[in-house]
Amino acid sequence: MTCVADPVDVMQVDHALVARVLLTDDRRAFEQLVRRHQGMVRAQLRRLLRGNEAKADDLAQETFLLAWRKLHQFRGEARFSTWLYRIAYSCFLQAHRKQSSAAEGIETAVFDPPTMPREAAELRLDVERAMRHLSATEQAVLLHVVQLGLGHDEAAYVLAMPLGTVKSHARRGKAKLRALLADWQTESLKEREQ
Amino acid sequence: MNDEAEDVLDALLREHFEGPVPDEGFCARVVDRLPARRRRNNWPMAAGILAGVAACWFSLWSDPITSAGWRDWLSGYPSTSTMTLLISMMSMTALALAWTIAEADDRYGGSSRLAFR
Repeated sequence: MTCVADPVDVMQVDHALVARVLLTDDRRAFEQLVRRHQGMVRAQLRRLLRGNEAKADDLAQETFLLAWRKLHQFRGEARFSTWLYRIAYSCFLQAHRKQSSAAEGIETAVFDPPTMPREAAELRLDVERAMRHLSATEQAVLLHVVQLGLGHDEAAYVLAMPLGTVKSHARRGKAKLRALLADWQTESLKEREQ
Repeated sequence: MNDEAEDVLDALLREHFEGPVPDEGFCARVVDRLPARRRRNNWPMAAGILAGVAACWFSLWSDPITSAGWRDWLSGYPSTSTMTLLISMMSMTALALAWTIAEADDRYGGSSRLAFR
């Protein structure tokens, strides 16, 4: 049987663990926090780094070490996971700025619609390819809003962007993706109607 | 973009996301690298409070309103000086209380505020 954790319970457990770390320097409590959140933080970084697992894990480690040092700055205004995503994203940005030439490559990618084969395995590649045609910011916004399931306000907090900017990037990114994946989407909608 | 098309696109993107990465020793590696937490020194704060109280005491001691207010208070006569002294003391206590609550909230707010976004 699958048990879906209540978000409020998850948040309460996180906050209790944070309080234990702050009040008693409890390393085991922090270890539990790492265990609870490492999976999604590493997934976020792997996505941002386009599957570079080694680099993503280095940055994830840096994220948790920073969280340990800065834990007293966590004020509970966001969920603990959102706070971690924010640290992870700023670690990613710092690393990314060091490789500015790579960033230019992303931003100036040519909008070139791929052809749409119908097979699922190829569809996956098409989604990957379509995502690469979005700007780095659009990719980051869609990753946080759609794939990590954050609200627009939470994504704005993580990405340190105004809420309106996040919403417009999400809208623009989805419109581009829709254009790129139009063939597949039409098929999928037809299948649903049948 | 209509809702149905957007739902399909969202579902496709979520499907495309691999989800949480298995631990595979990551947590142990992080815990091994945790540095010792630095303790906050409290003595500068205590010294500052003591110095402030001492400076306040010395500057008010020679003030005629303070000494008159104190004298009237001891004799049970509610003069203007007594009331001024009382109001000043109550205001300073209220300020100190508000400051303490704000500091505690800043330090441990994460554990007490639970209903957010």
